[in-house]
Amino acid sequence: MSTVERDPFILDRPTGRRLRARDAIAVVFIAALLLLLLQGESIRSTGEKMDPGWQRTLVLAVGVPAGWLADRLPIADAVDDVTAFLSPDDELTGAGGFNAAPAAGPAAAAGGGTGGGASAPITTDAFDPTELGVKTAKLPALKTLLVTGDSLAQPIDVQLARRLARDGVQTVRDAHLGTGISKTDIVDWGVLSTQQAKERKPEAVVMFMGANEGFPFPGAGGKSIQCCDPEWAVVYATRARRMMDTYRRDGAARVYWLTLPLPRAKSGQAIARAVNAAIAVAAQPFRSHVRVLDMTSVFTPGGRFRAAQDIGGRATIVRRPDGIHLNDAGSNVAMGIVLERLRADFAKLGS
Amino acid sequence: MVFPTVQFAVFFPIVLALSWALMRRQGVWKPFMLAASYVFYAAANPLFCVMIAAVTLGNQACALLIHRSEDARVRKQIVVLAVTLNLATLGVFKYYGFFATEINGLLDRAGLGLPLPLAAIALPVGISFIIFQAISYTVDVYRRLITPAATIDVALYLSFFPHLVAGPIVRAREFIPQLQSPRDPRKVAVGAGVALILIGLVKKVAIADFLAREIVDPVFGVPQAYAAPDVLLASYAYAVQIFCDFSGYTDIAIGLALLLGFVFPQNFDRPYRAASFGEFWRRWHITLSRFLRDFLYIPLGGNRGGKWKTIRNLMITMVLGGLWHGAAWGFVLWGAIHGTALVVEHQFRGRVRLPRWLGWLLVFHIVVLAWIPFRAPDLGLAGAYLARFADWGPATLWTAPVVIVTFLVIALQVAPAKPMDALRVRFERLHPVALGASMATVILLVAATVSSQGVPPFIYFSF
Repeated sequence: MSTVERDPFILDRPTGRRLRARDAIAVVFIAALLLLLLQGESIRSTGEKMDPGWQRTLVLAVGVPAGWLADRLPIADAVDDVTAFLSPDDELTGAGGFNAAPAAGPAAAAGGGTGGGASAPITTDAFDPTELGVKTAKLPALKTLLVTGDSLAQPIDVQLARRLARDGVQTVRDAHLGTGISKTDIVDWGVLSTQQAKERKPEAVVMFMGANEGFPFPGAGGKSIQCCDPEWAVVYATRARRMMDTYRRDGAARVYWLTLPLPRAKSGQAIARAVNAAIAVAAQPFRSHVRVLDMTSVFTPGGRFRAAQDIGGRATIVRRPDGIHLNDAGSNVAMGIVLERLRADFAKLGS
Repeated sequence: MVFPTVQFAVFFPIVLALSWALMRRQGVWKPFMLAASYVFYAAANPLFCVMIAAVTLGNQACALLIHRSEDARVRKQIVVLAVTLNLATLGVFKYYGFFATEINGLLDRAGLGLPLPLAAIALPVGISFIIFQAISYTVDVYRRLITPAATIDVALYLSFFPHLVAGPIVRAREFIPQLQSPRDPRKVAVGAGVALILIGLVKKVAIADFLAREIVDPVFGVPQAYAAPDVLLASYAYAVQIFCDFSGYTDIAIGLALLLGFVFPQNFDRPYRAASFGEFWRRWHITLSRFLRDFLYIPLGGNRGGKWKTIRNLMITMVLGGLWHGAAWGFVLWGAIHGTALVVEHQFRGRVRLPRWLGWLLVFHIVVLAWIPFRAPDLGLAGAYLARFADWGPATLWTAPVVIVTFLVIALQVAPAKPMDALRVRFERLHPVALGASMATVILLVAATVSSQGVPPFIYFSF
């Protein structure tokens, strides 16, 4: 290989003195060592949150011993306290957490709440009046809409916000990527939903979540409840029901819970089916306030994945290439369904 | 794999140590570095590695055939084939969906029921950078600026992980000569490398992601919900965000390469201090500018064919430069705005002389304005965004940190470079232990600013 011509101005020689390669390695390893000592716990927890695979194995190979070491040194906590003011996250503390110590049975593993134990009385809340053909008064006005969930809640959150901005509805977009009801290590949705309902007091909540589900729940006697048999669905439904109950605020709000369009991957389809079944069961006691919006049959009719479907007489791609999420066009379809239900429930959109 | 992540923080020290340990044994070092780069790329999606391997082998085959042929016509046919195949690869992955949708719309309106098949195609990360580098290799062989390198060198050139996903666009004749002999372990620009990595991290995580979270994403997402003061600040903030995001990535890439013993070209030189569009493009994404100049503008005829041909060539170059960023009309419009500005500047050169401050003010604000269709999800929303300038309502997102960060970054670009450069040079001269401790401290502080959602991908990953 020979160079005939060079662009001398392009390859600016770096400034500063030259050191040896072993100095470069030393610098990086000194930095790495300090970070392991100061952030070992955080490296370990990052690894634990990752999806299974070689990257997780690699991070945990370093993170587990580093975390062990950091647990025994008082300095890590001090560093966390000093840098806490830089964190952009709202502190997620308070009531409603799913992570109560598991007792016996799946419902207890779900963190208590409705659903387990003795047979609960059936109330009028369990019936959607419109399904019975009964006319009821609409809620007066939708002023604040909360759109939340995991990555599935995007881009429907921004689409709803744009659409409703002209009516004066304030849309709070609060998607938490990579989280799930069966995955409490990043966000405990029990705590988060309580906090969202308390702080925002939305009259309507759109929930679209389920891209990161399928994780085992803690069960009785240290055993874990694996996805996706009925036991797992019981725990999922119990947790979802608590969230629905929180969001509906004793009937002051309406909840629009979107079911999952089946993903392309077969393994993902099994999880989605369990999640969808659990959502349907979870909503039963609150049918007067909680609307389960069926995205499964809209995007995957007949239980078959398809990337494109007919919209307005034209074949249109509705899924992202990952085979899980909806793209803008698909999300637009979902938004139309949500808007239709909002209009049915509220006398007026906006103040 | 993204640079500012725990995964990369574990991956890089291992690769760095092994790279220098194997450096003297090039027969082992090259396969090792190639494997490391493919592992880095496979973290996004292992199937993407098949694409990059195919691009490597295809271009190498064409380069060898070009080199062996003495027939000018045959050489030209092969290089045209190579460029076509490269662009076809880019077209299928990046533009097929866009053009299929647009063409189907046209056919539909014309009442012709022959739609193109639709497919949801995953976009390989950094494909535009990889393809442009591949073209530069094959075309430079055709132009006899270089001779074909060994296949492993070409593979390493195209996949070398520091520049793999978002540049800078390194030319074959800059990188491949560096593979000819082992890097000198006694002359490593450690201080400069560490300084660049840290500057890049601060730019990306502490500035770009902060501005995205606090003002840019909310306002560009739902412009209808905000009035002129917020829209105005969001426009400046996006100019700062995209600069810090992209230049932050290339700073880290250049810094990592320096630690591995390689030199990459500069990609940014304080672009927002430009007082003309010509100057802006000599300071912004420098490696793309020179690629477009050498592989598009000059082959089209450059400024040699008179006034109208120069205008045509400038517009074609800038519009295609815009389209390079992605399949959307917003990018085309962005390129057209810059092309028009370059044309106007070209026509008035020597006739109108503006004071430098006025030139800067004009150029900066047109650049900021052009970022609006670039960032907006579609042209309709870009229009909605611009319409909000007419609504002088309350400022809801003007917080002190957002305002300070936005205008500080702009001010630092306009201010004389000497004091900052002097500071950087002093940092680069620190003892290795101090450099390591500084690195840990900065990473610790930057990591504290990351939200529980993690570090968002670099903007240019999707290009």
